[in-house]
Amino acid sequence: MNGASVTALALHSHTLNINGRAARILRDRESDSATVFVHGGAPGITPYSSGAHIWGPALARFAEDGAVLALDLPGFGASDAPDGPYTIDTMADHVDAVLRAAGVRRCHLVAHDTGGLAALLLACRQPGYIDAVSIVSSVAAAPTGDGVENTALAYPPQPLGSRESQRWALERLSYSPHHVRDVLDDCVRAAQQAPHLAAAARMAEPGAAQAWTTSVARAKARLFELCRGPGVPVPVQVAWGTHDPTGTIDQGLWLYRILAQRQPIAHFHLINRAGALPFRDQPEVFHSIISAFSDAMR
Amino acid sequence: MREPDPLPASAAPRPAMPKGRWVDVAGVRTRYFEAGTGQPVVFIYGGNFGMADGASSAYTWNLNLQPLADAGYRAIAFDKLGQGETGNPARDQDYTMQAVVDHAAAFLRALDLPPAHLVGHSRGGYAATRLTLQHHDAVRTLTIVNSGTLSPGVGTNEVVLCNPPHPRGSREAVRWVYENYSHDPGVVTEEWIDAVMGILSLDKYRHTVQKMAGEGLAERVFLPELAQQKGQTLRWLDEGRLQRPVQIVWGYNDRTAVLERGMELFRMVARHQHDAQFHVINESGHFPFREHPAQFNALLARFFALQPAQ
Repeated sequence: MNGASVTALALHSHTLNINGRAARILRDRESDSATVFVHGGAPGITPYSSGAHIWGPALARFAEDGAVLALDLPGFGASDAPDGPYTIDTMADHVDAVLRAAGVRRCHLVAHDTGGLAALLLACRQPGYIDAVSIVSSVAAAPTGDGVENTALAYPPQPLGSRESQRWALERLSYSPHHVRDVLDDCVRAAQQAPHLAAAARMAEPGAAQAWTTSVARAKARLFELCRGPGVPVPVQVAWGTHDPTGTIDQGLWLYRILAQRQPIAHFHLINRAGALPFRDQPEVFHSIISAFSDAMR
Repeated sequence: MREPDPLPASAAPRPAMPKGRWVDVAGVRTRYFEAGTGQPVVFIYGGNFGMADGASSAYTWNLNLQPLADAGYRAIAFDKLGQGETGNPARDQDYTMQAVVDHAAAFLRALDLPPAHLVGHSRGGYAATRLTLQHHDAVRTLTIVNSGTLSPGVGTNEVVLCNPPHPRGSREAVRWVYENYSHDPGVVTEEWIDAVMGILSLDKYRHTVQKMAGEGLAERVFLPELAQQKGQTLRWLDEGRLQRPVQIVWGYNDRTAVLERGMELFRMVARHQHDAQFHVINESGHFPFREHPAQFNALLARFFALQPAQ
């Protein structure tokens, strides 16, 4: 803080074995309490390849304050895709299994996009190790009403997964394209790995992509029902970029209104000049906002 | 299941106000309080002189001064012109917002402060913004809290708080006003009411009530001048003249300065100010820094720490 130099902290990659499947995590140290980062995206579908790498320099920034752990969801990066249908619960179950296997007993979950929806539903299961949840640019969890189709990523250049296709997607999602060059290699590598290829092949099967979309809609309905009833059982905040091409500020605010019905400690934050990846467009502001919430819990 | 707020205002240990001090500000004896060392953080509370059913004073910030001092800042709260224990405007034509802003700017000079982090609430949020627009060199960052006065939209104080159902200026009327400002009436403690009643009972304060209500300076001088300069202030914001890092913090459940007022204000400043931030705190009315001090203080400290060293 106060312009202190950012120490380059080493993040180590580990592969856990969860029921015979590889589950990859990035962490800076062994610790039973951590800030845990869950990426988003639709497996094998989203035209940029997400994974633990998507958080970029924000991870090292958080690691200056305490332990961090970022994971690859199934079918992303180096975490094996599941055999059966892929649903939001696939994501929530994976996060749960990974955190238990990694020995995490207390955490602040920071989750992006579809990962945000999975994180909220996981928190509602009250697994006992979640202290707080921060939802970042998660149009997947926000109400859509009879909304207009979002076409931000409708016509990606082919072939999907290629450098040019992913550059196109990341630039369209961002307020500023400058950060894209820093993550593009990681995204291209992720697209070439077996889990992504398996997930992409699975989603190309008849009905698979539709089943995923249905699972997101049903998970969202379950979340709204829970928020009307007992509510999310831990402090929760919503962070949103002012220039998110995938979701409006109004959608972010409505997600907040829904969460704030029953959870007394709930914040909503707008990050100016940030798109759908605010932690990449504005990493310092993102770190500040997420950390202020943790500070207040201490 | 609900988790209790780690520091609900009604149960938290209440940091005592530091010992009060006095400074002469362009001939006006001015009361202030400070704690800690480091970059100055100057808190500007809301309201104005001559209000009969409520009276903010530096005490309003008693849950924020020591925590900000503990976070490494020189936290300062002063009594505005004609409010708290500070002296009154000398002439009738000084019962204006501009006189309040001029006094606040002169206070910063009197203490010989380096550029300060200003935190302004409600009408104090307006004053802090006007001060920034007129004295950029005095200001490091600006934090605006639930300021319907600054927002371009319509505030609803006069609706929500009109004619308390108790005798004017009574303890019951004061309590009713602050309870209606708040999300949780439980945060309106006896100590808070004591602080307000203490100011209302001062001869010098009663003089301002006589001026504003009795002699009609509120309608004749204060409100027209505020309306006129607000047009200019909003034009300046629209023109991008703020030019200091700004964050807007809003209590979600404020019925007097509703959330939409904050959103409008944020849109206005964010157009020009790349580092603008907007934060909403749940289960909070008009005074988020009193209803959820730990959450509010953490947002302040993190925002200040984002600024590069000077």
